[in-house]
Amino acid sequence: MLFPAALGLGLPLGIGFAAIGSGIGIGLLGKGAMEAMGRQPEILPKLQVAMIIGFGFAEALTIYAFVTMFFLQGRIG
Amino acid sequence: MDQARPGRDVLDRSLRTSWIVAGALALTLASTQPYDALALLAGEVISTLHFIFLRKIVKLFTEKRGGLALAIIGKVLVVYGGLFALMTWDKIRYAPLCAGFAIPFAVLFLKSMQLAFGAGPASLTRRAKGAMLILAVVGASALATTAHAQTSGPAQKEHSAAQAASAQAAPAASHEAATELPNWLVLLHDFNPGNAVIGWLEKNQIIVFAWIAGLLFLFVSWLAMRKPKMVPGPFQNAVEWMVESLEDVAGGLLGSHIERHFPIIGALFFYILTINLLGIIPGMKSATSSLDLTLALALITFLYVQFWGIRNLGIVGYLDHLAGSPRDAIGWMMLPVMLPVHILGELAKPVSLSCRLFGNIFGEDTLIVVFVSATALCLKAGLTALAVPPMAGITALFMMLQTLTSIVQALIFSLLATVYLYMMLPHEEHAPEEAHASH
Repeated sequence: MLFPAALGLGLPLGIGFAAIGSGIGIGLLGKGAMEAMGRQPEILPKLQVAMIIGFGFAEALTIYAFVTMFFLQGRIG
Repeated sequence: MDQARPGRDVLDRSLRTSWIVAGALALTLASTQPYDALALLAGEVISTLHFIFLRKIVKLFTEKRGGLALAIIGKVLVVYGGLFALMTWDKIRYAPLCAGFAIPFAVLFLKSMQLAFGAGPASLTRRAKGAMLILAVVGASALATTAHAQTSGPAQKEHSAAQAASAQAAPAASHEAATELPNWLVLLHDFNPGNAVIGWLEKNQIIVFAWIAGLLFLFVSWLAMRKPKMVPGPFQNAVEWMVESLEDVAGGLLGSHIERHFPIIGALFFYILTINLLGIIPGMKSATSSLDLTLALALITFLYVQFWGIRNLGIVGYLDHLAGSPRDAIGWMMLPVMLPVHILGELAKPVSLSCRLFGNIFGEDTLIVVFVSATALCLKAGLTALAVPPMAGITALFMMLQTLTSIVQALIFSLLATVYLYMMLPHEEHAPEEAHASH
């Protein structure tokens, strides 16, 4: 397989796989946060901050894949 | 830091030290490359002027006296105009000018590092040792420069040729990258292709938009706090509400440390928010959709966090923190593994901070560009009914999403900075804060 073709196939697939992982992570985070909020609505502000920070960490992985794609995009040809 | 404001003294001393360094360097260079020595001294002069003007401006600003505008205009004219004039004069090379400009910054950085290592302002009076150190450094660098000048004649030529080649390659590469919506600078450049100033602005549009956002941020805060009242009007109320809610959120993490660190956290949040939201206005651009700006912000955060880590934990405590606080035999045995892991973890922080912000904002921008260009394609093919209603709707939807992303990303950046800071600060249960405050 040619290098550009492999790159053209691999980069979007890589983002897709990364997105699967981040999606699972964010989903679990959101589930946990929602359940905790339902149980104890009074800790909502504290929980929201922690949740958003967690989202940031989970989402960063997809962003790494995205940035990698952006850097290698010019070499697809 | 309890002695009444040592900052001014430190700045004076740093400037004096930097003059010694610059003079010594210029003397060593003067025999071989006189123009380089001149450029070095010119850079030093400009940098000194920069600091003097900056101090004047800050003084006028904090004491609320007149003549502020005059000082700012004078600084812009003298410092930036001087730099520009020097750079256009072709006998002066860029590198020594930059080196001269950077000397006071480097000296100031070293001095602040000295402060951070707990030496305190008192130790700055022990100058003999410091002068010896400076002389040693200058001597070593002088030897290095003369050796460099003797050996690297041909190498330099090759280097400049390579630079020219890469400069030619750079525009070609940037054409290959993803397109973006034209902003007003690009349009201005298209209509005035020959104008040097507009060309320069167009090439450095990230800086221009970052400056616009910064000025907007300053203007809004000035407008809100021009005449602060006990019972605030609607505008002041809105701004105060924003600042206070951010302080609540960050204060939930930092606790009693928030008062000291809120200025930088708040500045990061509102600056990034302004930059991000600026990108939604048609004809404007988010400066954060460039890795350069986000990396700069992340590096500032990184240096700030490390500075306060060293200052709060002390140099031994900082190394202990980096080693993962080994307390038992197993901890000490894991030391060769844990130390590199922790150092890598520290270094990964700015990378992840900058890539996250850049990726999110750039991704949103690209998404909107894709839909706008799809609309343009449909219009070109004569499919007006297909183009306008659905595509405009989708684009508007993504713009709403972009607003959300802008706010959330600004929040995440500043909150992560807070969390990194929190990891470096002494926690409440150890309570070394009382001991620190008592002396």
